[in-house]
Amino acid sequence: MRDRLAGALRASRADYTEIRLERTWSSTVAFQGRRLETATASEDQGGFVRVLHHGHGWGIASFTSLDRLPEMVRRAGELSRAVRLDEPIRLAEVAPTQADVALDLDGDVRGVPLADKKRLIEGYNGAMLAVSDRIVDTQASYRDEVSEVWYVNSQGTALHEVRPEITLAGVAIARRDGTIEKGLESIGLRRGWRSADGRAAGFRTVAERAVALLDAPRVTGGTYPVVLDPELAGVFIHEAFGHLSEADFVYENPQAREMMTLGRRFGRPVLTVGDNGAAPGLRGTLPFDDEGTPTQDSVLIKDGILVGRLHSRETAARMGERPTGNARALSYHHAPIVRMTNTYIANGRGSFEELIKDIRLGVYACGAFGGQTLLENFSFTAAFGRMIRDGALAELVKDVVLAGNLFQTLDRIERIAGDFRWNQMGGGCGKGGQFPLPVTEGAPHVRIEEALIGGDVAA
Amino acid sequence: MIDRVLAAARGRSDAADAMWQATERTAVSFEAGRLKAAGVTEEAGVNLRVVHGGRVGVAGTTRLDAPPADLVERALASATLGEALPLVFPGAAAAPAVATADERAVALPLDALVDTGRALVERLTRERCQVNVAVERAVSDAAVGSSAGARGGYRTTAVSVSADVTRIAGDDVLMVSDYYAASAPPTAAELDALVESITTRLELGLAIVAPPEGALPVIFTPPGLAAVLLPLEHALSGKTVLQGSSRLADQLGATVFDERFSLTDDPLAPGRPGSRPLDDEGVPSATLPLVERGVVRQFIYDLETAARAATRSTGHGHRGVFGKPQAGYTNLIVAGSGKRGAGSVVFGGGLLDGIRDGLLVDDLIGVGQGNVAGGAFSHPVALAYRVERGRITGRVKDAAVAGNAYDLLKRIGGFGSDGRWLGARFAPSLLLEGVSVARR
Repeated sequence: MRDRLAGALRASRADYTEIRLERTWSSTVAFQGRRLETATASEDQGGFVRVLHHGHGWGIASFTSLDRLPEMVRRAGELSRAVRLDEPIRLAEVAPTQADVALDLDGDVRGVPLADKKRLIEGYNGAMLAVSDRIVDTQASYRDEVSEVWYVNSQGTALHEVRPEITLAGVAIARRDGTIEKGLESIGLRRGWRSADGRAAGFRTVAERAVALLDAPRVTGGTYPVVLDPELAGVFIHEAFGHLSEADFVYENPQAREMMTLGRRFGRPVLTVGDNGAAPGLRGTLPFDDEGTPTQDSVLIKDGILVGRLHSRETAARMGERPTGNARALSYHHAPIVRMTNTYIANGRGSFEELIKDIRLGVYACGAFGGQTLLENFSFTAAFGRMIRDGALAELVKDVVLAGNLFQTLDRIERIAGDFRWNQMGGGCGKGGQFPLPVTEGAPHVRIEEALIGGDVAA
Repeated sequence: MIDRVLAAARGRSDAADAMWQATERTAVSFEAGRLKAAGVTEEAGVNLRVVHGGRVGVAGTTRLDAPPADLVERALASATLGEALPLVFPGAAAAPAVATADERAVALPLDALVDTGRALVERLTRERCQVNVAVERAVSDAAVGSSAGARGGYRTTAVSVSADVTRIAGDDVLMVSDYYAASAPPTAAELDALVESITTRLELGLAIVAPPEGALPVIFTPPGLAAVLLPLEHALSGKTVLQGSSRLADQLGATVFDERFSLTDDPLAPGRPGSRPLDDEGVPSATLPLVERGVVRQFIYDLETAARAATRSTGHGHRGVFGKPQAGYTNLIVAGSGKRGAGSVVFGGGLLDGIRDGLLVDDLIGVGQGNVAGGAFSHPVALAYRVERGRITGRVKDAAVAGNAYDLLKRIGGFGSDGRWLGARFAPSLLLEGVSVARR
């Protein structure tokens, strides 16, 4: 493979050429209710070529037949020359690296029979079904993957990586008459077969919660002091702030640059936020990004002040900053774009109990069914909530949707507890048609002075 | 390819079906008004399903140079664990004629994509706004076959033109986007409509006004309707019915919605993204009424869900290279007024008139993340306008709308005259009464 790549690089007449080849083995076992929905193993391969002629734009080719590599390098060169640019694309300097990285496969999933994988997820599915006869439906899925990636560029970088991944997911649907509620379990790890064991309790818990939500009232819509649990706080910082810190959002837009000027106050001094692609053992962790740049811990907000952003080589050069190792591509179908890795709110001080003890009426929003942002507007659907009354947790509530404006909400983060944890969830991040990219989020409990909770409008 | 794979499966399995698909795509993208990249894609793959000992297995690959026997082995391994299911593959049958490919799209050169994009950028450029445009053409060939004798193949072309304009003023971000997607390149009139759609919404959004509050009349534009239609799409799937999570499971023949509301799945609509003469399991396509004048008529099925429900496939099998076929919609058409939006399109579809105080919702944040099965939705607005005394007075921010699709669609305040295609869905604006609007 190395010779094939070197030959293709030599044949390119462009000023810059990069080639990524991938081969992925994956297997999936999924249950729906008591029924096995699917059990299958797949093999995928493909390549991606990106080239740049000086004074021209990117020429890109992606393909599934590896025999087409030389022709695709030629086509990409042609396409680059067809795109003329007044302002040339420059790439920030990255030292050429040669590396052969095999992450710990932790029990190579490729050696495990499909029947064993079926048995494992069947057990977790059974744990949800056994909770109550109110559980009318479940989905439980196991997915594993080992992908082998070769990356070379014409500046001397040559990488070979083997990356494992395992995800477990569960959905429990509880129903009584017309009322339907769900509970969601999601685990995503950059590990192998051994890490999939011993996870039944998490599946059981979400099924129990779905049943409990049948009797829970909808939260009354309005403005409250809100405490986010670490899971939702992590999703919040990823969605609401993380995407704005991706330099491709600002680098071509003077107004956006102004809005995201380094040194601007983004929150109170309690708030520190970062993105760490080098944190050991997490799903968003990789030694190098998909441009061959080493990953790192990038602090984005320090003590409330904007101090950094996430870059590809192109955005870094354009803004006169340093590449951060955040150019990531979902697969060979896609070009690398600026993405997050493991995004976090740094630890604060004190316990959860201290955080809520002076809240007379508030909402404790937990877990995430999902989150979405549109620039400065965001929305998160919590998995469930608890009312906070007179400094203590009170009744379970449902349909807790947290909505708001990023700037106002960040500025209203008034206290951060000292109970940081990474949320090792499955799923992933979507941007520019590339979904689901493996990422991780982490946070402690976070208290927002005031936030809008959607739900029934108070009569 | 199909014949090779099916031949390899013969003798090793009781029955088999397969789908091969290959796509060739050219795309250009303009970032901040500048042509930035041009790309080409060549992808192909095959998906095989086998029935062996009464059990069903599936396997897929993009390694088309590997011997088909490897794929067959993986499908058989899948079948040993697979479900016992009386799956019957369709035999040879005539498929209806439907326009899925346009010769002009096949021949569309890179220069034409660049020219279209550049013209669009010029027309959308204005001060303090960033314009991004992407133009793409794709040609896909599909072949489907089964050991029962079904054989089908067809070519699809897809041209898409998408544009978004972002205007940042201080901490206010206004983002307006729209797109065109069909089998043929857009006409001048279709590009005009795209420009007008974006420009209108941008200009109306320049003024920011306070959101109203309470249970109010809300107009959902064709893109804004997604949150309201999603629960219906969920409930009208035969699979959801089998699972017991469809609110419409026992409502066939019952009037559940406003008597003017109809929803049709139409794979035979000419030149639309979901159009096809047969489905990905070899079942001929047919137009299917899902809701007719408020009455629930049909659920969609693929071969597997049909076998489990002891009914017939409605031709809604969708299949990728990996995984097993799944039931899904083709082109969804919402009808109510009877009109299909001929002539010039007025923003709001003529529904503004009767509204004293309300909202027009064009885009919501977080659609699909709520309780889709139950029909409840609650979303902050991404793009919405306040309507006062029959006219739009400005854009609202920091507001959220909530309601239940099943309640709201029982009594529809009005159907707009602005019906349009948005990808694989045709819908007019709908005026819904009593939607909860909350503000900060």
